Formats: sequence, structure tokens, C-alpha cells
Amino acid sequence: MHELSIAQNVLEIISEQCIKSGHTKIDSVNLRIGRASGIMPDALFFAFNAIKTDSLAAEALLNIEEVPVTGLCNDCSHSFIVQEEYILNCPVCKGSSFQITSGRELDIIDMEVS
Amino acid sequence: MKVKVVTKILEANERIARENRRLFDNAALYVINLMSGPGAGKTSILEKTLALGTGLRIGVIEGDIAGSDDAERIEKHGAPVVQINTGGACHLDANMIYEVLQDLPLQDLDLLVIENVGNLVCPAEFKVGEDIKVMVLSIAEGHDKPLKYPLMFQESAALLLNKIDLAPYLDVDINKIKKDALSLNPDLKIFEVSCRTGEGLSAWTDWLKKKALKNQKTADDKD
Ligand SMILES: Nc1nc2c(ncn2[C@@H]2O[C@H](COP(=O)(O)OP(=O)(O)O)[C@@H](O)[C@H]2O)c(=O)[nH]1
Ligand SMILES: [Mg+2]
Ligand SMILES: [Zn+2]
Ligand SMILES: [Zn+2]
Repeated sequence: MHELSIAQNVLEIISEQCIKSGHTKIDSVNLRIGRASGIMPDALFFAFNAIKTDSLAAEALLNIEEVPVTGLCNDCSHSFIVQEEYILNCPVCKGSSFQITSGRELDIIDMEVS
Repeated sequence: MKVKVVTKILEANERIARENRRLFDNAALYVINLMSGPGAGKTSILEKTLALGTGLRIGVIEGDIAGSDDAERIEKHGAPVVQINTGGACHLDANMIYEVLQDLPLQDLDLLVIENVGNLVCPAEFKVGEDIKVMVLSIAEGHDKPLKYPLMFQESAALLLNKIDLAPYLDVDINKIKKDALSLNPDLKIFEVSCRTGEGLSAWTDWLKKKALKNQKTADDKD
């Protein structure tokens, strides 16, 4: 929904880091986006490519690693991966007490600069 | 050359949210981020909460894409209120809140309610420095909403199921809403309410009062 503001945040952070590293051009950037983060990769690609012109990242390639939603059951201690964007209960014991262990990521991992 | 970044994309927002949190703590202020889809009844619930008289000194921040209708409705109840217009943005962020805090008498308040932009998706993703998130779902929105918009249900401490007076006219399965919401979030406190008839609202205000007063007690203990 607000992929544009996310893209703006990404561009600000990587531009700042690029200058800090003493470089002038961003060639690529790697993100990790959880499937339960509410951000759609396609919309983020679109937004990023729309705003990157006239920036240090004008020619940067955006790579997005999607992170699946995983949980850890408090009842039977099994770890599990779900296909949905949410967890309703543990698929092994059907218990409803669990922790979400991944899927909410919205992170910049690294980038190539030159 | 490879540069390690390893930063949360929303880190700037989280930093400002922590600063807001510090200002709230200094004023021993309990803060609620009130969220729902458009028209579920957030402003109506706030008006009823103010009218019922909780004994709490309540301030309000109204977030809307445009207009000041909601702030005017709150002002009629004598509560300090500030309107934020997001100018199209689909959620409030920490900086929008930070910028209006100087317009509210924080030290003279017990509870600050931030009415977020009507949207079931984004507001849950942006911390503004609140103690808890509370969401409103009107039963007219249908029983598929918890599974379609899981994040907000997971993040909220309480769910107000509003417009319960409309139940006789709707083919909505209220028990399914409650069951799915509790599966997503077993700790969720659910109140069935109607702003039209007043049903269920005193249970909500009692709970709210307890939460806010407990906050003051822990703040006093720290002094
Ligand atoms: N029947 C009925 N209508 C309600 C109730 N609560 C709010 N409304 C109506 O729903 C509409 C939207 O309410 P409002 O408080 O502005 O929703 P908001 O957009 O979430 O702030 C208004 O026309 C209200 O009068 C309720 O409990 N029952
Ligand atoms: Mg409103
Ligand atoms: Zn289990
Ligand atoms: Zn948004």
C-alpha cells in the first residue's frame, strides 16, 4: 500500500551509506522482505524504479529476497513454515500458542557501489 | 565494492517513535493507537468514551487524509485535540505525531488517543510510540476480515466489534470473527459494542481506565 514511502526510505538510506563509503554510484542493492510485512515486491520494484532516476542509484538493480512466514510452537516445540501470510495454529499439534519467528522483515542487507 | 548495510528500512521511523515514547513517559501519559478501516466507528467510539466520563483527562490526535470533521466532533466534548492531514498518505508515522506534540498539554493529560487514518493495512506497520494498539471492526465489514488483514489483529491489544446493533440486518458470523481473531492473537481482548445503543461501551471504558491508571502507578513507582 505504501510501497512508495518504503522505496523512498530505501533510497535515502542507501544514498547516505554510499556517500559514507566514499563512492558515487550504487550498482545494486539487496533487500529482505517478509511475506507478512504487508509489502508487495512487485509494487516496491515499480516504486523504486520510478524514483531512482537523478539519484546515486539511477542505474541500481534492486534484488528482493522474500522471507516466508515461520513459527515456533510453544506446545510441541516444532518449527514450521506456512504458505499463508499468517499463522492460525501449529500445523503439527494444532496448538494455538506459538511465536512468529520470521516473515515480518523489512531490511536492507547490503549493496554494491562503485 | 560490497557495502554491508543491515538496517531496518523503517529504522528512521522507529527512532522517532522512541523519542515520542520518551516524551510520553516523561508526562506519565498512556497512549493508544486507534486503528480501523474507513467508517468502522473510531471517532464515534471516542465521542462516546469522552461522553461517558472516565475521569481520565483525555487528549486526541486525529489523523485523516483530508479535512477536520473528526477534530470538530471531538472538540465539542471539550477534549484537547489536534488534527493531522496526511495529504494522501495511508497511515500516520512517528514524525507526523512528533511534530504536533507541542500543540497538546501532555503534562495535563492521562491518556492520549491517536485516531489513525482509516485503513486496515498500513497503520499496524508504523509505530508512533504508543503503549498499545486498539482496533475497531464494524460487524458490517464481514467475517472474513481477520484472515484477510491478519497483522492488525495480531498487533492489537483490544478489538472493539462495533455496530453490534446492526446484527439483525446482516448475514455476518460474529462468532467466526471472534474465533479467527483469537486464533491470530490469543491475548486479544474483545468488546462487542454499539455506539448507537451504547451497548458494551462501559465494559470498554472500565478496561481503558484500568490500563491508563496502572500506567500512572508504574510511572509513580519510578519517581
Ligand atoms: N448503526 C450504527 N452506526 C454507527 C455505529 N458507530 C458508528 N456508526 C456510524 O458509522 C459512520 C462512521 O462512523 P465514524 O465514527 O465516523 O467512523 P471512523 O471513520 O472510523 O471514525 C457514522 O455515520 C456513524 O454514525 C454503531 O454502533 N451503530
Ligand atoms: Mg474518524
Ligand atoms: Zn505444536
Ligand atoms: Zn501506508
